[in-house]
Amino acid sequence: MLDKDATIVDVKHEVLYQVAKHAYLKDLDEKRDQIPYDIIPGPQANFRCCIYKEREIIRQRVRVAEGRSPIQDKENSNIVQVVESACEGCPINRFVVTDNCQHCMSRKCQQACNFHAITIEKNKAVIDTQICKECGKCAQACPYNAIADLMRPCKRSCPVNAITMDENKIVVVDEEKCIHCGQCIKNCPFGAIMDRSFMVSVIDLINQGLPVYAMFAPAGEGQFGNVSMADLAEAIKELGFADMYEVSLGGDMVADSEAREWLEAYQEGKKMTTSCCPAFVTMVKKHFPQLEDHVSTTVSPMSAMARFIRAKHPGAITVFIGPCIAKKSEVLESITQDNADYALTFEELDAMFRAKGVELKVSDRQLQQGSIYGKKFCSSGGVTAAVLEAFKEMDVKVDAKVAQCNGAAECKKALLMMKVGKLPEDFIEGMACEGGCVNGPGSIKPEMQSRKDRAALFSKADDRGIIDTITPYYEKFPFSLHRK
Amino acid sequence: MEITICIGSSCHLKGARDIVSKLETIIAEKNLADKIHLKGAFCMGKCSIEGVSIKLDEELFYLKPENTEQFFQDEILRRLGA
Repeated sequence: MLDKDATIVDVKHEVLYQVAKHAYLKDLDEKRDQIPYDIIPGPQANFRCCIYKEREIIRQRVRVAEGRSPIQDKENSNIVQVVESACEGCPINRFVVTDNCQHCMSRKCQQACNFHAITIEKNKAVIDTQICKECGKCAQACPYNAIADLMRPCKRSCPVNAITMDENKIVVVDEEKCIHCGQCIKNCPFGAIMDRSFMVSVIDLINQGLPVYAMFAPAGEGQFGNVSMADLAEAIKELGFADMYEVSLGGDMVADSEAREWLEAYQEGKKMTTSCCPAFVTMVKKHFPQLEDHVSTTVSPMSAMARFIRAKHPGAITVFIGPCIAKKSEVLESITQDNADYALTFEELDAMFRAKGVELKVSDRQLQQGSIYGKKFCSSGGVTAAVLEAFKEMDVKVDAKVAQCNGAAECKKALLMMKVGKLPEDFIEGMACEGGCVNGPGSIKPEMQSRKDRAALFSKADDRGIIDTITPYYEKFPFSLHRK
Repeated sequence: MEITICIGSSCHLKGARDIVSKLETIIAEKNLADKIHLKGAFCMGKCSIEGVSIKLDEELFYLKPENTEQFFQDEILRRLGA
């Protein structure tokens, strides 16, 4: 049940929790229709016009949390789904003249408008929305900053212009353009955009008693407070997973493999990009297809770990747990690549902990599988630092310059430069989330709030090197780190 | 041509991954890698039906791993006009 102070984060968590709870209890089929009533008991509406709309929104959210589209028979295969009943259709026009308008005599806004959309009425300037082309010249021209730019938050947040509106102003995500970065999900103030979840499938397979292995992304250190990897592994096993591995180890494997690839490319004078961020890779595929050959053929740390776990435990079902929504599309797009079977977010893991009544306990136990370089893959600049460390450990001197693209906008800019042959750097490190994976849309708390705990946890990691970390694994379990 | 294979838990248990690797082998043997793209999908909601849910040109099929080869002959090759 939600009270009137609940935020959109609480609503999302409550839905995931209810779905996880009934999946564990194996009664989701009978209880599915009851969930909206349990969450919105009424009789008063707290968030929307009435409890009937609130319940319909919950019903659609439950569908997405189960991995379906919000509305039956209105299917598309995208990860990012619009919960139409929750979309307010934000009835805002982009440029609006505010009360700051002084009705001045210079009429700079009117002169700046190339489309004659502005008239000066009795008390202030007025923009004719039918004529306005949303160029923004008037807002720049106003000496009083009286013209506000109110682009819809979903549209503003999308780095690839994949968001449009239908005739009722309800959001439509263009599947052909969407890179699954999750920015619109994070930025919609009504939570009307959601990511489909594999959570029910994972719980089903756990309930069947199958060997399901968790792969925990380094961005999660600090997300659950000051809980060490050893304590998290215990909690994850209480959920029914056979065991937990750290994806930072996959980061080490990728750093070593990319170092070798970069060296070869550098000697050939070929420019290259990283391949670990799935939203970045999809950006290349969908928006810069001519650059696909420049993407490193090394698989992602998630994929490296899935291959390693299958080599070590034949028959294992591998589940990535991270801050990333695009990883879900990486799973779907690479079913022939021996990649992870499923991907979950930290939000979903948190809901599973609550559903199963697992309490996170802090103990003195420690666990470290990856090096500190593998762990820091999750921050902007981290992949570059790890590759440079691998060079150092291999005793190779390369004077390579790397464009460390922090966020989708910088990625797009660098790829554009690469496309026209004007990229000054030799390599691109592409991370679609600003700050890196630590700011991923599937996180429980923002990076600012988990930073202190992560720094404390990372400071306990020893100084093992990348090559020393991975060599024993390679000797025992041979598997390829390249795309098939 | 895109072949979409459901990877939800129910289809996983019915052998979705086996079908993927069988299809991969056939595609490699017949040199059709540049014509056929295999893709996973979330649960298609047909869990009670026997066989793994597979979508081909928006048409749904339910396939058992042992029938993969026959399915490839009957449906995929026919659509490719080969």
